[in-house]
Amino acid sequence: MAQNPVKPTAEIYVIESDEAERMRREMNLTAVSDLLPALVPTAQRMARPQISRYHVGAVALGSSGRIYLGVNVEFPGVPLHHSIHAEQFVVTNAALHGERSIQFIAVSDFPCGHCRQFLQEIRSASQIQIQVTGQGEYRPLSYFLPNPFGPSDLLKEDVPLLLESHCNYLIEEGEKEEEICKGLGEMEERLRAAALMAAREAHAPYSGCPSGFALADGKGRVYAGAYMESAAYNPSLGPVQAAIVAYMVAGGSRGGGGEGGVGEGLVAAVLAEKEHAAVSQETTARVLLAAVAPKARFSVYRVRSSTSPW
Amino acid sequence: MAQNLAKPTAEMHPLRFVIERDEADVMRREMGLAAVTDLLPALVPAAQRMARPSISGYHVGACALGASGRIYLGVNVEFPGVPLHHTIHAEQFVVTNAAIHGERAICFLAVSDFPCGHCRQFLQEIRSASQIQILITGGDFSAADKYRPLYYFLPHPFGPSDLLNKDVPLLLEPHRNDLIDEEDEIGGGVEKREICVNGLGIMEEELRAAAVKAAMAAHAPYSGCASGFALAGCDGKVYSGSYIESAAYNPSVGPLQAAVVAYLAAGASGGGGVGEGIVAAVLAEREGAAVSQEATARTLLAAIAPKVRLSVYPLRSSAGTV
Repeated sequence: MAQNPVKPTAEIYVIESDEAERMRREMNLTAVSDLLPALVPTAQRMARPQISRYHVGAVALGSSGRIYLGVNVEFPGVPLHHSIHAEQFVVTNAALHGERSIQFIAVSDFPCGHCRQFLQEIRSASQIQIQVTGQGEYRPLSYFLPNPFGPSDLLKEDVPLLLESHCNYLIEEGEKEEEICKGLGEMEERLRAAALMAAREAHAPYSGCPSGFALADGKGRVYAGAYMESAAYNPSLGPVQAAIVAYMVAGGSRGGGGEGGVGEGLVAAVLAEKEHAAVSQETTARVLLAAVAPKARFSVYRVRSSTSPW
Repeated sequence: MAQNLAKPTAEMHPLRFVIERDEADVMRREMGLAAVTDLLPALVPAAQRMARPSISGYHVGACALGASGRIYLGVNVEFPGVPLHHTIHAEQFVVTNAAIHGERAICFLAVSDFPCGHCRQFLQEIRSASQIQILITGGDFSAADKYRPLYYFLPHPFGPSDLLNKDVPLLLEPHRNDLIDEEDEIGGGVEKREICVNGLGIMEEELRAAAVKAAMAAHAPYSGCASGFALAGCDGKVYSGSYIESAAYNPSVGPLQAAVVAYLAAGASGGGGVGEGIVAAVLAEREGAAVSQEATARTLLAAIAPKVRLSVYPLRSSAGTV
């Protein structure tokens, strides 16, 4: 493990609560939230801003006591709306680890309006405490985005919000195809299962079109992420992006310092989404995947709603 | 779902997306209003009614006053079948509308709802954005009918000044991107192909020229990848729009979206789908662009005008550098 508690040598995206507590004590800090700004430079160094070269780092503290790191990721060759912001990365990271709420976020820059909007998907978003390194103490998100537009403008009270448990009732559409080669078949099977599981957890209350994406690397490891919709539509995070976060967080992409491509090492991918979805990710996923991992095999796993869980 | 109720508006002339300065003044006087800025909130409900929210059913209207004295209307536009990042917000529509008409500055903006963070960010591309006066016509805003500066809605903004040198033109300012159309380069003998629809002939050359001109005017200082898009309607007219980039990247407006704004603002689209009546489409963008719009434009075009084939014209920097 790292020798210096605030500068881990490997790319670390998650710090467990006991480790966070240990760091707090070692640094003589009152609260774990005081630790977050010290970790921001570490996050910044892991960023992948291949178009702008502008490194952004974000560090979040969940109610579990776990700390999550996030970075901005840019994708040359495709339109800028594919970009992942550090704040979106850190929330996706937390979601992947089953975090139920985020209370503090430290960032290297003032969050842009797109991110201040994306964060509205979390329950009680206005009370999330935000600190920009070198720019004073924590302030609530409501200071940065007063009179917000958000889920409550469009959804009923009982609809689950981001990070809360979702259970989209989805099952596969039609019969499974016979696999030609057993080796390929087994990985495809695991990719489909992972993409379907992600789709079941996706936050898509506005379109009703949940989706999940799974990536496999050369060693057969599978990484999956779920679509995360925004009430303001455009700041939604695509399922491919969510899966890329999963890949990076698991240490799958070790380009280091923005040199290597984010998709290095990926060999196969599966998108799970509803047939004839009002909001379909397929074509867009192809465009991004072609830019990120041009040699990866891609298939689409059609699912449909069912009235019961399985 | 309950939406903001319309405030009473005077009966007015048929509402268009651009109201000239003298006409705005006539309206103002007819309604007994002290200032043209008071006219904007009165026009918002009418704008809302023209919105195209085909996924959410949630109508948003926006109304802006430019430094020229001209008033611009904007609406939200949603596109079923494609991801939500293709959506055009009313505030983005109104700014794009102003840009298409050569407006140099937007001073006042009235909207039916609080702008979302994505829009508060997009507006940062305009010089002195923090001073744009914003009024919200609906909701429980405690100071009803009062204008507040954009800075109130997005304090400590991230914007162009974080990434660009001071002398770089901002949105609505004249741009002249250093681009050459590859076909112009080859020689004057560009074959003038004609597209015939319902007896109307549309020169593909006209479309290409419009797309190239739009690309030259595009605001793309972050990627350096300017692009323009032109649509031909069944009325034989050409509508074009320029790519508008955001410092925050994701809120950028794609060139096809900008052309759709031109199309809708001109009243070219009937009561049906947004793409109704589009017969041809052209994208002009840099060859091998670090930020390429082609595949994405094809996706959206297939959703709004499935029978239309997209032509792409490559451009390159006149200095010969990529």
